[in-house]
Amino acid sequence: MSFVFLPPIVIFVLSYFKIHRVLMSLVASSVIIPAIYILTHHFESSYFYADKLGSFVLLVSSIVGIGISISLISLPERIKMSEKNIKKIYRFFGIFWLGVTISILANNMGIYWIGLEFATLSTVYMIKLNNTDVANKQAWKYLIVGVIGISLILFGIILMYSAGKNALNENAMNFYALSLNSKKIEGFLFEIGFLIAVTGMFIKMGFFPMNLWLADIERASIYPIGALFSGILESAIILGFFRLTKIEEHINYSHLIGFVYIYGLITLFIIVFLMYRTKDFIRLFSFSGIEHMVLISLFWVSGGYFAALLHFAAHAFFKPALFLSTGLLEQTKKYLFKGALNGYKNKLVPILVSMLLLGVISLPPSPMFFSEIYGFKAMIDVSKDSHYFLLMIFGVFIVLTLLSVVFYKFVNVYQEAVYESDGNNNKKVYKSEIFMLLWFLTALIGLLFSFDYIDGIIR
Amino acid sequence: MVDVLIGFFLATLITELFSTRLFKLIYWYALNSLFLGLIALYIGFNIDDKAMIITGFLTLFLKAIIIPYILKVYFLRFNIPRRIIPKITIQYSIILIPIVLVFTFYLITPILHNFTHANYVSIAISALFLAILLIIEHKNIAPKIVGFLSIENSLFLLGISATDGMPMMVELGIFVDLMMLVVVINLLLKEAK
Repeated sequence: MSFVFLPPIVIFVLSYFKIHRVLMSLVASSVIIPAIYILTHHFESSYFYADKLGSFVLLVSSIVGIGISISLISLPERIKMSEKNIKKIYRFFGIFWLGVTISILANNMGIYWIGLEFATLSTVYMIKLNNTDVANKQAWKYLIVGVIGISLILFGIILMYSAGKNALNENAMNFYALSLNSKKIEGFLFEIGFLIAVTGMFIKMGFFPMNLWLADIERASIYPIGALFSGILESAIILGFFRLTKIEEHINYSHLIGFVYIYGLITLFIIVFLMYRTKDFIRLFSFSGIEHMVLISLFWVSGGYFAALLHFAAHAFFKPALFLSTGLLEQTKKYLFKGALNGYKNKLVPILVSMLLLGVISLPPSPMFFSEIYGFKAMIDVSKDSHYFLLMIFGVFIVLTLLSVVFYKFVNVYQEAVYESDGNNNKKVYKSEIFMLLWFLTALIGLLFSFDYIDGIIR
Repeated sequence: MVDVLIGFFLATLITELFSTRLFKLIYWYALNSLFLGLIALYIGFNIDDKAMIITGFLTLFLKAIIIPYILKVYFLRFNIPRRIIPKITIQYSIILIPIVLVFTFYLITPILHNFTHANYVSIAISALFLAILLIIEHKNIAPKIVGFLSIENSLFLLGISATDGMPMMVELGIFVDLMMLVVVINLLLKEAK
């Protein structure tokens, strides 16, 4: 188990020496071995534990981490950066990854929080590395929003711990012990803690009322930051949400459904219109990330565990790949693949990016197509069993209507995207970038063959 | 004794809200942390909880001495403006703060029976709201940083009063995170310069 922490630590240490970017990528890739080992060998201790759910999320985040490390190979060619700043990027990437891995494997809610805080603080400085006034402002902004979000999570954790302490003593801090003894804990106090912690998590994922901060910081920072947020950080946060909801559903399921549906619908309503108005790739992908997180939350609380996990994994592969492609695309507020048509490598990129763009709006055979079909089925099933059938069905109908606007926007972007070369100023596409896109595409194809495994994670 | 210390804890936090000078704000934060550390030590010795005694000493050492000192050095080194005017003027703050305090007592009424020291929990939650108010009422970044640290203090108080102390490992992790926050703030200020 300890080997899974090794690659981030080695990256952190190596960042103090002369940077060899391919070596860094190879070190990052070595995480796949312990991640696969944990997938087949589960364990449980008072501080860490890996069940089927945790090990699956760990594998997904490891695959994304490797993809991002491959993309960092060509970063200095895309963005003018000093050697010192590149070292800092690797240093903070190492801390970030370590924090997220701690969070994902944490059994103790406190350790989970510590990992999240580590990840949050390390990204603050990574945003700043873009070295512009806007990036500086957004880094401070993220520090404020991030710390408030994370404080709410700690506040909730303290109340949840307090709710279970009489019955479970210090074990009340453990996800595993709480889920086994959910009947013994003080329901009302736990619910208050749960609501506060989940609100903190939602703020960190860009839900209502903090819809704009994520898009703003991803726009202002260097392009791999968006990939880090959507692929790795959100994995750790959503895992905490998954674990807490599994406890809360034994305490008061109707409160859980009501809270998540209302919060999700309000967020989706606002996000969809922000997406409709957006005019550049990064903001579009960023808002789309929030929309997918809403869908994952709704599928999960509706009992569509397979749909939620498939959607989560597919989103974790699609979105970083799209964010990293924005390094290849123009970022001048236009949907333009500028100068990327010369040579076979350059032609391959628009094809791969187009596949990702269409895949993320669930065009078959994208894994998202299947996850949404099963997810909406779960939502309709939960509506049928509800006392508020008409209200719930109306909610599902509203979600579908809002999603149609998102589909329209993505198809519109796909149609309007211009593939043009402007003569002498052609953009070069590097081998590592094509390899990175193919890596994510392979992971997505792998997902299509893992339905049985994902279905068996939560039974 | 704990009542007196918690009273001082709240009083120093309220004074932070009225501060118009940066170094005075840091001074009040240091005092706030001092009373917090004393509360942890007093309760820790009373219930003979070694973890709480250690965290109490750590609070005194780190939050009451080291962090205020480091912040003062940073603010001097990077020439941060020392005059800080709260956006919410004092006459409105005088009305707002008691409302927050009363509201928090009202807020925890349904869960009073869950805690042995419900008043302390209520004060900890109101301290959290007041620390958030400190972040909201200032435009400059320096008082906002003190606001984050005050949020952390209030959560620590909540941890002591609602749960008789969190597990040692978690407390230590929170201290490490706090130090990392201070390092990141240094890097951000350095680059901004």
